[in-house]
Amino acid sequence: MLEKSITEIHEALKSGSTTSKELIIESIKKSHEVQDKYNAFVTICDEAKETEVTEELVSGIPFGVKDNYSTKDVLTTGSSNALKNYVPIYTATVVENLFNKGAVMVNKTVLDEFAMGGTGTTGHTGAVLNPWDRTRMCAGSSAGSACAVASGVYPYALGSDTGDSIRKPAAYCGIVGYKPTYGMLSRYGLFPFASSLDHAGVLTRSVEDAAIVVDAMKGIDSNDMTSWDSSEIKLSSSLTDSVQNKKLFYIKELCDINNYTNPSEELKTHLKNFHDTLNLCRDLGMEVCEESVDQKILNAIDSVYTVISCAEATSNLSNLTGIIFGPRSDAQNVQDMMREHRTKGFSPLIKRRLVIGSYVLQSENQDRYFRNAQKLRRLIVNIMKDFFAKYDGLILPVGDGPAPLINDANDKLDLKMSALNSHLDIGNFGGFPSITIPNGFVNGLPVGINITGNCYKDANVLSIAYSLESKMSFKGQIAKERM
Amino acid sequence: MKKFTSEMVDDYAAKLLFSLTAEENKMVLDEFDVVDKNIDIINEIEGLSEIEPMTHTLDDFAFQLRADEATVSIPVQEALRNAAKTEGREIEIPKAVD
Amino acid sequence: MKKQIAVIGLEMHCELISNSKVFSSAKNEYNETPNSNIVPLDLALPGTLPVVNKKCVGDALKMSMILNCKMPEYMYFDRKNYYYPDLPKGYQITQMTEPVGIDGEIEIEVDEKLIPVKIHDIHLEEDTANLDHYFDTTTIDYNRAGVPLLELVTEPAFHSASEAVAFIEHIINIYRYTGISDADTKRGQVRCDVNVSIMDEDATEFGTKVEVKGVNSISGVFDTINYEIKRQTELKSQGKYNEVEQETRRWDEEKQITIRMRSKVDAIDYKYFVEPNIPKFKIDANWIEDLKKSIPRLHLERKYDYINNYGLSNYDAGVLVKDINIANYFEECLELNIDAKMAANWITTQILGYINKAEISINDLFFTPKRLADLINLINKGTISSKQAKDIFMKVIENKKEVMEFVSKDNAQISDSEELTKIIDSIIGNNPDNVEAYKNGKTNLFDFFVGQVMKETKGKANPVLTKEILNKKLN
Repeated sequence: MLEKSITEIHEALKSGSTTSKELIIESIKKSHEVQDKYNAFVTICDEAKETEVTEELVSGIPFGVKDNYSTKDVLTTGSSNALKNYVPIYTATVVENLFNKGAVMVNKTVLDEFAMGGTGTTGHTGAVLNPWDRTRMCAGSSAGSACAVASGVYPYALGSDTGDSIRKPAAYCGIVGYKPTYGMLSRYGLFPFASSLDHAGVLTRSVEDAAIVVDAMKGIDSNDMTSWDSSEIKLSSSLTDSVQNKKLFYIKELCDINNYTNPSEELKTHLKNFHDTLNLCRDLGMEVCEESVDQKILNAIDSVYTVISCAEATSNLSNLTGIIFGPRSDAQNVQDMMREHRTKGFSPLIKRRLVIGSYVLQSENQDRYFRNAQKLRRLIVNIMKDFFAKYDGLILPVGDGPAPLINDANDKLDLKMSALNSHLDIGNFGGFPSITIPNGFVNGLPVGINITGNCYKDANVLSIAYSLESKMSFKGQIAKERM
Repeated sequence: MKKFTSEMVDDYAAKLLFSLTAEENKMVLDEFDVVDKNIDIINEIEGLSEIEPMTHTLDDFAFQLRADEATVSIPVQEALRNAAKTEGREIEIPKAVD
Repeated sequence: MKKQIAVIGLEMHCELISNSKVFSSAKNEYNETPNSNIVPLDLALPGTLPVVNKKCVGDALKMSMILNCKMPEYMYFDRKNYYYPDLPKGYQITQMTEPVGIDGEIEIEVDEKLIPVKIHDIHLEEDTANLDHYFDTTTIDYNRAGVPLLELVTEPAFHSASEAVAFIEHIINIYRYTGISDADTKRGQVRCDVNVSIMDEDATEFGTKVEVKGVNSISGVFDTINYEIKRQTELKSQGKYNEVEQETRRWDEEKQITIRMRSKVDAIDYKYFVEPNIPKFKIDANWIEDLKKSIPRLHLERKYDYINNYGLSNYDAGVLVKDINIANYFEECLELNIDAKMAANWITTQILGYINKAEISINDLFFTPKRLADLINLINKGTISSKQAKDIFMKVIENKKEVMEFVSKDNAQISDSEELTKIIDSIIGNNPDNVEAYKNGKTNLFDFFVGQVMKETKGKANPVLTKEILNKKLN
């Protein structure tokens, strides 16, 4: 039952063919299995209780929450040793909104420490394994959520997305990952990584479920000044597969195999698969155009992301000193106490990023590093907005192929990281609505495509994804181990 | 181009209130070169000086400033709940001196 | 050594009055019970976000207008990053890029002279938590964390401790007049950083600037400046001016000295950047107009109004404008057509004397301007004497009754000139020798006749009228 869609489960609950209690018990049982196999959870809420089934689609149905959302009385670690014993006293707004509609949280999912990573291997409880192939990573940072949804633990789990942290693991796990326009979902209670790039969002197995869950979570929040009133927007009821005359574009430099020297077989298949999907779009009556963006700008996306995200993170993680929360050493001096907390609390990856963030913010470096990155961010966003004046959406392949091997996990900043692996950052630069859906397999492993549209045009983006999803056979797919 | 040294890296880390192992220091040092190259990529883009830095995600936020109304304080037990050491109603730390 | 000039700049932090804190909805109130006014943001619990208090922004804009500053088109905030146990977030939300006011100027009065003071900027920010230090531990109370603060930064505008202190007192007065802050120094609501340097009288470049942080009283500012001027001048006169370093010091109240904290080399890089969680917002022109209208007439304007248009002395005018409520009381008196000097005299002596002793506000005084008008009318008509008026003043307050209730036939002055003339005629008739002597030049006998009249009337004769009639009769 948990492998079905939210609407199907809701109907089963309404008809009495299952109960909330049965679902919760099943989901918790499944959580333990998935934990044993893939290490997806920080906490499994064995005490979770069923709720009354109401007209709300999410009522009575279990769901998972990434462990960087504050949940009152439930351990919330950010997958970091710095918060390994932190039990919040308040619940994040989006989680509270789901609770208020009767949704039942059954676990807290593993992420890359403080969401600062793209492999799902850096959480303090260890790497999350890909449910399609345990030697592969899920990508990150919403690794546990992607793994659990793909494994059928529940129909959806919350993720967060600063660069691609929902949309990339969704692709690697063969599911849907959606982050709405910045501010549609409140960030109150979401542990910050880079506040101007952080988005709340969801991982599901269908576009419709993504729309349903965001409908249930969204709303203006007096605790988040960047949230806005979206009460006029009803995502699930505005889903339509009549997308004739919608216009999509893709970026030539990223999608043309001839643009890559010595492309791998995986990349070749991945890009061919992408172009096949474009043909499906055309079959649906959409116009798909090729556009060109200066390669220099594409190459710089990752740098912009690194500079801005590390800088903001340096400041956002400054509250981690072990004074008000988090473990403490018995140092006799408060400076030493804070230093030991941070030295032991942060993994090397975090420390490296913080040092970089601090460096680019130094007053003598700010112009050259931080402010220039912010300027380029605007330039990129302006380019996109010009495109969005002509097009309904940008469609691109996610990553350069399927999930890499865990042993290759490398979160060091790497110049060679191709533009193909960083274009999803654009969605965060501009706060654009952006959704990844599965569009096939490469070497038996799932791959995805991404559709990104202009701010506030979430319904449009979702309908494009929805109609495309209906043309393919991956909707609702559950991970099956390849070996 | 700037010359990065391991002393500089240790100094940055110290100012961020953590220390690095020799291995971590080396990783950061190696990465600094990457970062600097990254920045060169950014700085190669033309026309940046004309652009206003993008400090906020949206340019058209619609919101109201908060009305000046106070809410009830959280209970002190909750405030102290996650603190490793407390004294009475307060959090206790080793003596902090200027 | 050439004559030295001191150059002084101030950074003045002042806690604002509001119901809730500047970025959180916790109560902004001085509270003895630790951690009783806090919400999750004040503890920087992960995931909490700042939400800007409109009143605090409005008050900051008002101060910006009063200081004749340029205001930005868009308002936003910055993070100032540093680690200290009193700063839960590890950064303070403040304004660096676009302060609420820059490049202002305001006139202050020093020794009865007006001098202009250039303002570098004024910005809105948040206060830190309060640390209590014990033998080997420190405890933290977060009630103060997030309390709204305005920081006012002057240009190096002053040349003496008294100028700097006059400025602080002037600004405190503005805060109180506008109701933006109680500016209660005893509660640590006003805290100053002081920059001091010295230079040769004819030099064109400033000397080495020393910053003294965290001076929490007006007398402390005065003493700090004088101490630093003396210290720096002495070193210079000994040829050791190179020992005056660009550094940060602190004022030790007990020892009355400044102590080195850190040199400029160790200056903290605060890595300021724009706070992304607070959207930029356009300052609405109508709001500015409303705020402008809500600013009362301030003390210096009133003071010179009283001096120039009502003939008060600088001293009396100064006393009246020290407190807006007293100034308002005085102005109500003027509206009731009480003679300005008389009203000022009554307020500065009787009324202030009483309210200071009774420790009440003039707003709570039973003796309202209307009652003062009644009383002064009676004096002017000659119904009562000034001495009697003072008695009645106290009786009105003590009994909470009207002035007229204490003016009876028995104690009324004799101001009827016919009646007085009769009495005077009879006294003159009974004292022919003295009349003779007076007319022969013994003019000091005039007081003898006045005394006789008073004796006859048991002191109730109107003294002015008595003198008038006596003059007529004797001369």
